[in-house]
Amino acid sequence: MNTTLDRKTTVLEIKPVMSIPEYLTGQVQSKLAYVDEAIVEAQVSSERIMIFLDSQEEIFPERKAKLEEKVQRIVNSMAKGSIKPKIQVLEDHLDRPIPYSKDPTPELIDLNELSKESDGVYTLGPLLTRIIDFFEKQFIDLADSFEAAPYRFPTLIPAKQLEKVNYFKAFPHSLSFVTHLHEDLDLIDEFSQRAFCDENGLVEPDGSFDQVENLLSPAVCYHLYFALADKPLPDGKLAATAVGKCFRYEAINLASIERLWDFTMREVIFVGPKDYVLENREIARQRMEKVFEKIGFAYRVESANDPFFIGEFRKQAAFQSAFQLKYEIRASLPFKNSTLAVGSYNYHQDFFGRHMNITLPDGSPSHTGCVAFGLERIAFAFIAQYGFDKSNWPKEVREVIK
Amino acid sequence: MENQNINLINMKIQEILAEAFQVSPEIITPGLEFGDIPEWDSLGHMEVMMQLEDEFGIEISADTIAELISIPKIAEYIENQRK
Repeated sequence: MNTTLDRKTTVLEIKPVMSIPEYLTGQVQSKLAYVDEAIVEAQVSSERIMIFLDSQEEIFPERKAKLEEKVQRIVNSMAKGSIKPKIQVLEDHLDRPIPYSKDPTPELIDLNELSKESDGVYTLGPLLTRIIDFFEKQFIDLADSFEAAPYRFPTLIPAKQLEKVNYFKAFPHSLSFVTHLHEDLDLIDEFSQRAFCDENGLVEPDGSFDQVENLLSPAVCYHLYFALADKPLPDGKLAATAVGKCFRYEAINLASIERLWDFTMREVIFVGPKDYVLENREIARQRMEKVFEKIGFAYRVESANDPFFIGEFRKQAAFQSAFQLKYEIRASLPFKNSTLAVGSYNYHQDFFGRHMNITLPDGSPSHTGCVAFGLERIAFAFIAQYGFDKSNWPKEVREVIK
Repeated sequence: MENQNINLINMKIQEILAEAFQVSPEIITPGLEFGDIPEWDSLGHMEVMMQLEDEFGIEISADTIAELISIPKIAEYIENQRK
C-alpha cells in the first residue's frame, strides 16, 4: 500500500518475508538507512516495515520494486537463523534520582552550545566543552590508575590496515573516505576553476580525485595495534590510553547530537594475555562504577554487539553476545524514556593479536581489550539528566565547572 | 556400541568443521580447539554452530555457543542431546 503523507514524503509499506524477532527490529531499522538514498525514515515492527521516501524526485514502480527487494534482502540476511542475544546486565542505576526531564537540544541550540555544520557534524560550545573536560579528567584518572602509557594517534587510517582487520567486510556502510586531487597541474587548474557546491555537496570535474589511500579513523585502539604489529609485545603486556577523533557514517540515523558522524573517544587499551585483559576490563568497570556513583549518573551496563553490516551481522553479533565480548554503558535520556550508549567495555579475544601479528613471549597471539567513552554523548547525557541550572548539578561537577 | 556412536559423532563433527572452514580434513585433528587454526575464528565458529544445528536437528542457545570451543566439547554436547 502506498500513501502520500504530505507533499514531500511517500510511504511504502512492506510485509517482511519473515517475521522479524522483537530483539532485531532496532538493528534492522538502522540498516534500512543504507537501502536507498530516497529513504528519509524507516519504522520496523515484527510484521510490518514502513519506509518513508523523499518524493521530491519521482519514485518509479521499478525503483520501488528494487527497493522492496533490497529491504527483504536485509530482513532475510539478519533474521533468518538469528540467535536471540543473551542480555547480561552488570549494573543497573537507571533509577537514580535526576532533576531534569526535558529535551535539552532546543536550549543547547538557542545558547549556541550546539551548532550544526552538517548532518552528524556539530560544534560544541563552552558549557558542553567544560562538561567534556570534567569527564575527560575522570577517564584520565582511570587510565593513570593502570599506569597507562599515553599515545597520540592520527585521524587518518590507511586503507591497507583496515583491510587487514576485516573492517571493509564488517562495517562497509560506516566508512569515511579521504582523498586528494591528482598531482597533475592541468587537473588542479581545472578543479580550481570548475568545482562548486550544489545542495548535495561538492561537484567536481570527472577524474579529479586520486585513489583512496586513507580513511578517517573509525576507532582509537586500532592505531595502537598497528603500532605494535609484527613484533613481540614488550614486557608481554601493555596498558595505553589516547583520545582521538572517530568517524562513522550513519546516513539518516545522523539525526541529532546523539549520533554523530564526527565524534571523540577516550580509550584505555589493554594488550597482553587473556587474563590480564579480562581482569583489567573488569577493574576498569568497577572503578568507573564508583565515579558514576559519585556524580549520581543514571545508567545501566549491559551486553551488546557492534553494528556489523548485514553480511556478517548474524554471525558476528551472535558470537559477540555468546562470548560476552562487549558491554555498553547506556545512560538514561529521561526526555525520551530511553538510553544512549556513552561508552563500552570491550574484549577482542586474540583477533587483533592474530591479524596484526602481536605476539606474547611464548609466541602466542596477544589478546586485546579496550574501555571506550564517547565524549560528546556523555556530555549530552549529563545535560539531559541534570539540565542547565547548576544549582541542581552534583557537587563534584559544580566545583569544577563554576 | 556407545563408543562406536561417539566415534561416528566425532567423525561427523570433523567433517562439518572441514566443510565450514573450507580446509582439508587432515587439518581437523580430534582435539582441535577454537583459535588453533586461523579458520576457527568468530565467523568460522558461528558457521560451525549453524551447521551442527542443521546436521543434528538441534537448537544451540547463546549460552552454549561459548562452551562448544573444542571438538571433544562439541562431541560431548551432541552426545548428551541425543540421549
